[in-house]
Amino acid sequence: MKTSEQAVTRTPAPAIRIDKVSRHFHDAQGEFVEALRSTSLDIAEGDFVAIVGPSGCGKSTLLNMLGGFDHPSSGRITLDGQLISGPDIDRGMVFQDYALFPWLSVLDNVMFGLRHTQSREDARAIARQWLDLVGLADFERKSPRQLSGGMKQRVAIARTFATNPRVILMDEPFGALDALTRRFLQQQLLKIWREHRKTVVFITHSVQEAVYLATRVVILTARPGQVKLDERVDLEHPRQINDPKFRDLETRIFDALDEELAKTFKLEASDGYAD
Amino acid sequence: MARSHPVVGSLGPYVFAMLAILSIWQLAVVALAPPPSILPSPTLVGQTLLEEMSSGALFVNAGISLARVSVAWVLSAVIAIPLGVFMARSRLAERLIDPVIELFRPISPLAWIPLAILWFGIGESGKVFIIFVATFFPIVLNTVSGVKRVDPVLIRAGRVLGCARQIDLFWRVIFPASLPSILVGLRISFGTGWAAIIAAELVASNSGLGYLIADGMEILRSDLVMVGMAAIGVIGVLVDAVFKVLQTRFG
Repeated sequence: MKTSEQAVTRTPAPAIRIDKVSRHFHDAQGEFVEALRSTSLDIAEGDFVAIVGPSGCGKSTLLNMLGGFDHPSSGRITLDGQLISGPDIDRGMVFQDYALFPWLSVLDNVMFGLRHTQSREDARAIARQWLDLVGLADFERKSPRQLSGGMKQRVAIARTFATNPRVILMDEPFGALDALTRRFLQQQLLKIWREHRKTVVFITHSVQEAVYLATRVVILTARPGQVKLDERVDLEHPRQINDPKFRDLETRIFDALDEELAKTFKLEASDGYAD
Repeated sequence: MARSHPVVGSLGPYVFAMLAILSIWQLAVVALAPPPSILPSPTLVGQTLLEEMSSGALFVNAGISLARVSVAWVLSAVIAIPLGVFMARSRLAERLIDPVIELFRPISPLAWIPLAILWFGIGESGKVFIIFVATFFPIVLNTVSGVKRVDPVLIRAGRVLGCARQIDLFWRVIFPASLPSILVGLRISFGTGWAAIIAAELVASNSGLGYLIADGMEILRSDLVMVGMAAIGVIGVLVDAVFKVLQTRFG
């Protein structure tokens, strides 16, 4: 633990290296789609990287490739120098729609990823610890069906962090939640992240969320996706959204995004006329 | 008020429907005065029911019919569930097997009775064969659709949570996720099997509820026929109720 924390504060070694990655495919209608073009990005150990971009910019494609569910058409993605070839418990994932197993209790959901490596007792102890940390200790016997959206996502976060992965990939995890729940979960996530310093890659539509949470905000261009802007966020936690520095950064990111949004709309408009 | 008592409340409609049927029946017997061999009175059928119960004959025959269905249904499930899983997970298997199933599915299990008698005689194996045919398709089809409809995000979650091998993924994610649908198939098929065993026993048997009915007809005892029919209905409802409880537990 100590050594990895020092590594964060000193010169961070890149944990994830995305090297000239392109991804293109034919969609359901047989149209050629170029989602990403020669995108490169290094992510350091302990970084919290938020990726923002217009819809269809390839940010989900990128996350899927990091998860090992999709593969680059060209280029390579490595974690600690190892080529990512498929999904692995090393790379935890938090999904927008929670993906809890409805036939398992809350506790059994959190224990799910621990059963491969831990005894039942140890798994239960670790799972309880994490449920406690997200404030759901009293809900361990409940079925996920009985929980609200925010609570489900807290269970999913506990389930992912409990397995102690190298990297945590989050695919618009708070996108389906109302504003207040969202704010609460952002704070909880930050608390956990600051304690455990996991490497996080976080996809979001919200610039404010990105600047509030991340150590680094990456903007992707409209299709084909490429890195448009890569901003380090050096603000102290807890960040204030009306802090002038926060606002400044937000404005800069919005300016970059606006250009891409304009392109996206132009693209969609021309598509519309062509049909 | 029935509302104040949950059990009475839920049984209320049943009791009401039964009383309505019995009243209409009794009225018809009084008004038309048919010979008992055509339409026996409810009281006569009630008497026969008590006799058949106290002699144990009703329970023995019902037990035999239930046992036949259960054996064939379990056999069917043991083959149909793995086949359904295989079809759902392999495109090639589905494309090969599905046309065969679609061709055989519309053939009523009753149409198999003549062949079953020719192949197996009138012993137990022929009946097991007919029930097997009757229960097979609902289980296969519900298993296929259940496995196919597993939310892909659950499969992804399973994989990032350490289910690296297909077999782990199957037992820990795919199977439990499709279990509700498989249970529906098991429930439906028990119903179709239960309907088919009576038909099979009507034609070729010397035991079971179907035999009880056929025997009643031959000796012109409509009251016995009706007792057999009532037993079929009641057992069908009870078995279905058990499945419904299972479904709410695992669904």
